[in-house]
Amino acid sequence: MTDRITQSMLSTTLLGDLQTITDKLTQTRDKLSSGKEIQKPSDNPYGTSRALQLRADLAANKQYQTNVSDASSWQDATDISLGQIGDLSQRARDLLVQGANDTLGASGRASIATEIDQIIESVKSIGNTQYAGRYLFAGSKTTTAPYTPGGADAYLGDTATISREIGQGVQVPLNIDGKSAIGDGTTAGSLLATLRKISTDLKANNSSALQSGDLATLDTALDGLTSTRATVGARTNRLDTALSRLQQIEQTTTGLLSNTEDADMAKTLVDFSQQQAVYQAALKSGAQVIQLSLMDFLR
Amino acid sequence: MGISTFLGVETALRGILAQQRAIDTAGHNIANASTVGYSRQRADFATTTPMDDTPSGLLGTGVDVVQYQRLRDSFIDIQLRAQTMRKGSAQAQQDGLNQVELSLNEPSDTGVSSLLSKYWASWQSLANAPESLATRQALVQSAASLANGLNTLASQFSTVLAQTTQQQGITLAQVNSIGTQIASLTGAIKSAQLAGAQPNDLLDKRDVLIDQLSELGNVSVSTTAGSPGTLGAIDVSIGGTLLVSDTTASTLALPLASLTSGKLAGLQSVLTTIGTASTGYIGKLNQLAAALAAKTNTQHALGTDLAGATGGAFFTVTAGNEAATIAVAPALLASPSLIAASLNGQAGNSGNALAIADLQGTAVIGGATIDTAYSQLVTQIGSDSQQAQQSLSNASSLVDALTNRRQSVSGVSLDEEMATLVRYQRGFQASARALSAMDEMIDQLVNRTGRVGL
Repeated sequence: MTDRITQSMLSTTLLGDLQTITDKLTQTRDKLSSGKEIQKPSDNPYGTSRALQLRADLAANKQYQTNVSDASSWQDATDISLGQIGDLSQRARDLLVQGANDTLGASGRASIATEIDQIIESVKSIGNTQYAGRYLFAGSKTTTAPYTPGGADAYLGDTATISREIGQGVQVPLNIDGKSAIGDGTTAGSLLATLRKISTDLKANNSSALQSGDLATLDTALDGLTSTRATVGARTNRLDTALSRLQQIEQTTTGLLSNTEDADMAKTLVDFSQQQAVYQAALKSGAQVIQLSLMDFLR
Repeated sequence: MGISTFLGVETALRGILAQQRAIDTAGHNIANASTVGYSRQRADFATTTPMDDTPSGLLGTGVDVVQYQRLRDSFIDIQLRAQTMRKGSAQAQQDGLNQVELSLNEPSDTGVSSLLSKYWASWQSLANAPESLATRQALVQSAASLANGLNTLASQFSTVLAQTTQQQGITLAQVNSIGTQIASLTGAIKSAQLAGAQPNDLLDKRDVLIDQLSELGNVSVSTTAGSPGTLGAIDVSIGGTLLVSDTTASTLALPLASLTSGKLAGLQSVLTTIGTASTGYIGKLNQLAAALAAKTNTQHALGTDLAGATGGAFFTVTAGNEAATIAVAPALLASPSLIAASLNGQAGNSGNALAIADLQGTAVIGGATIDTAYSQLVTQIGSDSQQAQQSLSNASSLVDALTNRRQSVSGVSLDEEMATLVRYQRGFQASARALSAMDEMIDQLVNRTGRVGL
């Protein structure tokens, strides 16, 4: 419907077109150099909110992985300590069986009692094992040594549970408190009390106790220790599963984030060369159209 | 009735003069080909009054320029100004929102959303090692960074608000200055028209001013009541308020009665979008900071610190201006051991730290978590800015198209002017030739007639 075309129309249209193409070229170049599809929220508001969510998920996931690794190391340290206690208790059992033999006599039993006492000290010092500066078996009183080597058999920790979060709202108990695993001097039937009783019975040359009750009590205590170790093992398994699940989620989330945020390089490059070609064409044709006028032909 | 011998000379002279005026007009057009707002002019020719040459009839007496016509379509002007108003409004919105959007710096590894993630992760890290002063220190630092990030964002929003208010003042001054210029041009136009002249170039200048004005606000132009339309007296209103009436300009002050488009309306909308207490960006940011501080503080008070004492305030805020004032409580900055991570009073318990970390997934602001509320704010700013960009590019292309249409009617075509020049130059030559013929004829009569036999 435009009937007259004037010089200024030609030049403003050309300028406008060139500006549009340059604008597009700049955007594409930004995408290429940053590798990001979304430079600022208005490029894709929905994509931005998705990217923010995915980034937050990713950060939380990494933190959960850290939590799981920390919990796993704690379990490993606990398991090693419980293993050592198990070995010591097994040795104590062997000694008990040996000491129960009446042919040994009071002096023989006394020397076995000395070894049992050594075992008790070792168990107590293992009960004081630290992991990253914290007492493993002190319940939540992680800054207090739960046992006093060379002193009374009292348990100085508490029985509180320490938990780690391994997913949104998912917590796993972390610690085995010393009272349930090792016990103290006053709780009859606990490992520590049993060992102490064996030592006392050996020293008192109490054949009947050594031959009848003590072995059964120690076996029960050993069973308890084994089941505690099984608990730790089960936790380790759970943590391993959680870690591999978290890693899988991380991979998926990273992929999704990249899909949302990152530029499709092949497509962007093709766009870029196309826009460049259009730009050159516009410049060439523009330069010629603007130069021409009737003046060039009038003599 | 006799015809003067010299009539032909007069006719030829009128021809010469008219062609010359036409060539002058073409020259004026060419000279103003790039002048903003210039409307091309055309010398309109008409035959002069014929002479009675009874009984033969009427003898033509040549040509005269009756007017220099200004070629302009006022309907296109109205359309163009309507779109210019939309463009002005969209441009102002786009400028303001773009600045807000850039200050967000999202999505990135340094924006508030990633600071939030780091803050929550620090609580988790504290939960992993509640006894450690190092993790406590790290938590205090990441909380301080988060508070700082919110402060910076709030202050950047405020800066945009302040700049926008300043812009409003400048724009209003522009409006008033244009009003004064329009009024004085109207005075000049009226006196020219009273003297019977057609002040084309003054009308062009006034139209340029009205064009400029329509970028600043919604403008309406009408003929001054009681004044004949031919005299060019106009009333110009902006934002529903009379700015110029005939030759009197008023000095306007904000707020204007009904501002619906143009730069002033765009600036006003930026102020509303950012600054409104509850629904504006600043309001939402304040809600977010308030919720973060309140929830963290409430939970923090339920726990105990390393010494077994109940937790105090974790964040401090000033009500009503939360985002700009949120900070980690100075006592905690000084000694991170005061962070109440424990729920049972023992150093190894990290129940409270976990409870605070779990606030990340708790809906606190109208069904949204703090992270979600922030991401909603970002999305809102993003889509507002996108919308402003789209309406700007929409209005821009309409303005471009209409400008082209106006140029098609009023713009100078050099080709056309060249053709005109050639045409009138030939007309001039031919008129001069006619004059020569007359001259020779009279020469014949005066000098050579009646000399038989000399």
